[in-house]
Amino acid sequence: MSYLPLYFKLVGAGVRAQLQYRFAFFMRIIGLITAYAGMAATMWVMLYRFDALGGWTFYEMLFLLALAVVSWGCCITVFFHFKSLDTYIVNGTFDRFLVRPIHPFFHFMSMKFDIGAVGQFIFSIVVFLWVSMAIDIDWSVWKVLFLLSTIIGGVLIQGGMLVIISALAFWTTKSEQFYWVAMYPARNLTNYPLVIYPKLVQMITAFIVPFGFVNYFPSTVILGKETPYFPDFVGFLSPLVGVVFFLLAYWLWMSGLSRYKSTGS
Amino acid sequence: MFRMKLYWTFTKKAFLRSAVYRFDVLSRMGSNLIFLLMWGSIWTALYAGKESADGVTFQAMLTYIVVSQFLSGINGAGTPLWDMQEKVRTGDIALELMRPFDVPLRYLFADFGSVAFYFMFALLPVYILVFLFIDLTLPMSWETWVLFLITAFIGFLIRYCIEMSFSFLSFFLVETGGIVDIFYFAMSLLSGSVIPLWFFPDWLEKLAIYMPFQGIYYIPTSIFIGKITGVEIAFSIATQIFWLLVCYGILRFVWHKASQKVVVQGG
Repeated sequence: MSYLPLYFKLVGAGVRAQLQYRFAFFMRIIGLITAYAGMAATMWVMLYRFDALGGWTFYEMLFLLALAVVSWGCCITVFFHFKSLDTYIVNGTFDRFLVRPIHPFFHFMSMKFDIGAVGQFIFSIVVFLWVSMAIDIDWSVWKVLFLLSTIIGGVLIQGGMLVIISALAFWTTKSEQFYWVAMYPARNLTNYPLVIYPKLVQMITAFIVPFGFVNYFPSTVILGKETPYFPDFVGFLSPLVGVVFFLLAYWLWMSGLSRYKSTGS
Repeated sequence: MFRMKLYWTFTKKAFLRSAVYRFDVLSRMGSNLIFLLMWGSIWTALYAGKESADGVTFQAMLTYIVVSQFLSGINGAGTPLWDMQEKVRTGDIALELMRPFDVPLRYLFADFGSVAFYFMFALLPVYILVFLFIDLTLPMSWETWVLFLITAFIGFLIRYCIEMSFSFLSFFLVETGGIVDIFYFAMSLLSGSVIPLWFFPDWLEKLAIYMPFQGIYYIPTSIFIGKITGVEIAFSIATQIFWLLVCYGILRFVWHKASQKVVVQGG
């Protein structure tokens, strides 16, 4: 498997390029942390006059948010480039991924490795520590392993969604817009416990756009919460759902690629 | 000298351009509705079956969220902040500077056009349906409707001045990422767009009252649901006008400084 060293070579070049603009990099991280801290502050203000949101306290909601943020951070590091496939297709620059002797999916993916996600990592680690102290989460070995496997599952689910969105560009020459219509609001929905939404929405986030497996279902396992409409073991399925969903996304991307015709510009 | 006819052309052009990018309008409407669903569900869960909290009935609170989402649809339909920054970054702004019009006004009038299109063909029909299917309160008197429209319009102008001032900051700073995020956070929380000011902790409510953001969502929406009444309305409108003048002054100042300091990035 010679792809792994190649990946690090390509990624290394990308990282060096990003570090050329140190001030920009620094500002982006500040911005990301501020944005997430703002979300946490909004949750705090919301719960100031009310006890709980659908049975979830402030700290439990913070945990939910941090889990979403950490797997999103990992996800954009590796897969965020897929969001902008449409610009390559419209400009005709996608062809270069097809004339080189490496797999186009792999090549496109390794074009960008976003190190700005440091902001997400700092935020989520701070929050995880804070919440663990505030509500005494007992971190046994299996819980840590469970959390790590959940994060991998969450990365695959969200990465799979980005791959599906980019695959749509093969048919419609649009992908960035689909991201803002579908994925951005869906990610926002899952920052809050899904139990507050109508049953139909909960079903969609479980079976169609499986974002519930990114943070909500696993959080119910760690925090010991009820999930109405769903069996208790549902929280353990994240890694499995992640693998299946990502394979599905990959298959869709490859079938999109096989019908790709260059714009010729 | 103000040449209405010239700026009116920008309004018409922007209206027609929105008509071409119909997918954009549709997708913006879709995501607006998802956020409506989200905040509607959150407030339903917070009230948790209670009739009222802090003297505000559940029905009034739900109306508040619907109206404020509607206003955020209006406020989000114009030229986005990053679009303006992109113009500065690529140097396209130089072309605008060469032409015989005032850039802040030119974009305001263009925004009127795109907002009008979005309002007529997406927001209005969809929100009429929302009001038909969900049990919400509508203002009883026509005066309240008029006051709502006036305050919502002033709020729109305040938001425009603040957002434009921020986007012109990219004349001075090449990277504005962090500042823009702080701006969006202040805008969404302190404007009362998702949590009305009366549910804030006291110190935060005081802070929000001394900021311009409350004029964008909190004042018009509270007038709509009848939370602000009587003399308070006059006071609120006076506050709004005060902030509009201040923000307009800031916009003018930033724009004046910016246009003298055009650094075209290798344009």
